[in-house]
Amino acid sequence: MIRNWIGSVWLHRLIFLAVVAFITFLRLLPLDTSAGHLPGPDILLCLILAWMVRRPEYLPAPMIAVVVLAEDILLMRPPGLWTAGVLMGAEFLRARSALTRELSFGVEWLLVSGVMVAMFLANRVILVLAFLPQPNLGYALVQMVWSALAYPAVVAFSRYGLDLHKPAMGEIDAYGRKM
Amino acid sequence: MAKARSYDPDDYSRPLRRVLVGLLVVLMLALFLLSRIDSPRVERFRTALIDKVVPDLSWAMLPVTKATGMVENFQSYARLYDQNQQLRDELQQMKAWKEAALQLEQKNARLLDLNNVRLDPMLTHITGVVLADSGSPFRQSVLLNVGTRDGIHDGWATMDGIGLVGRISGVGERTARVLLLTDSSSRIPVVVQPSGQKAILSGDNTMLPPLDFLEHPDQVQPGDRVVTTGDGSVFPAGLLVGQVALGADKRLRVVLAADYQRLEFLRVLRSYETQPITDPGALLVPEPPKPLPPGFQGPLLPAGGLPPTNPDAPATGADTATPDQAVPDGTTGGRSD
Repeated sequence: MIRNWIGSVWLHRLIFLAVVAFITFLRLLPLDTSAGHLPGPDILLCLILAWMVRRPEYLPAPMIAVVVLAEDILLMRPPGLWTAGVLMGAEFLRARSALTRELSFGVEWLLVSGVMVAMFLANRVILVLAFLPQPNLGYALVQMVWSALAYPAVVAFSRYGLDLHKPAMGEIDAYGRKM
Repeated sequence: MAKARSYDPDDYSRPLRRVLVGLLVVLMLALFLLSRIDSPRVERFRTALIDKVVPDLSWAMLPVTKATGMVENFQSYARLYDQNQQLRDELQQMKAWKEAALQLEQKNARLLDLNNVRLDPMLTHITGVVLADSGSPFRQSVLLNVGTRDGIHDGWATMDGIGLVGRISGVGERTARVLLLTDSSSRIPVVVQPSGQKAILSGDNTMLPPLDFLEHPDQVQPGDRVVTTGDGSVFPAGLLVGQVALGADKRLRVVLAADYQRLEFLRVLRSYETQPITDPGALLVPEPPKPLPPGFQGPLLPAGGLPPTNPDAPATGADTATPDQAVPDGTTGGRSD
């Protein structure tokens, strides 16, 4: 019913924002304040890339920018840098959406992991150039590996939990255009 | 596929879109550059934003945090027997310590009485509840629900019931961020107790921060007490930090006394800087009193709070001033806590 009122695209955008808000909320909970834990995956990054591969039209660039910038600010990262990285990674995938549509999941996973590693390296190089303190390499690598491993889980959640799939052959959008 | 069709609106909007996305990326990089050039302004903006967002979430955060705590506590019932045994042993040891403490307390009270010592009345505290943590595995900080409206200032020491936890770094209207001792940018001057060795406790994102710049590391034994010094007027002196331990990497590290597993209520110590003596003349001739800043509340520095009708009072403090005079700022009255 809601789908008829606001259209499928905006419905999915709202769902995306709700999921992001929930993830950020969980991260901010002061459950364990002791230091030295191994970092977990960056779920927000996995979510953005997984949606970008499946339905790029659900994630306009300004929305990605706002969401990641808010995360930058809340999690005490230097604002803007990681946002720019995520934007460029997402746009890289968006430009190849015609290609990724036909890829099998294994190849897609490799491609997305490659994009993640590139974003991570670029971010780190710029942090070094700006003389900013950064987490030690081992911990940051653990987070990157976790993110790559968590990607299939995020895809499964998006596919079966939120019914987000690649457009099928001959599927048409709300205006009757071919996708 | 798209090229096979004769008309596609994307063909016209795509180059424009690319320019706009490029602009967005440049904007973000400019923001990053701005944060490097004018860091305080960006940090103030960050504090203000967090101040707006996080307290409004506390209605949801507190129940979830409490519920998780309850589940964890419930799980500990499984280890009830072991814990009971352990507690019995500890209780036995504590009884011995209690006896020793009582005797020392009496002795201490006698000595204080003999020396006519007054403990620093300026050390009062404000207690705050932990709202949120940093959310990132690479930063160690927590957000308290007290801010400038409660008179919190940057740099004040924060303790849990027992030991030092961190210092205030970033104050908003309703919230204040506490940089924990374990954060990799935390540096605190400390002194190791029996030997009196001074050192810097530098956090490195582990639970056991190392002691740096020890002059004679051989005089420091594992088990020694570590307390803060007043050096550099960073902290009031003598706050308990923890105990020295020898890390697995043969560095001297500190086992923190505060319970970092569950930081729930933290007390922020109000500390007032001691006035530095800059010119020798002010020691001999009292300076004319400064006017009170508008809207100032709470206890003032003694030398700044003297009423102007008292030119021949010594500049050593309001305590020696005539007590029957009306003190306008309530310095001698009860201190809200």
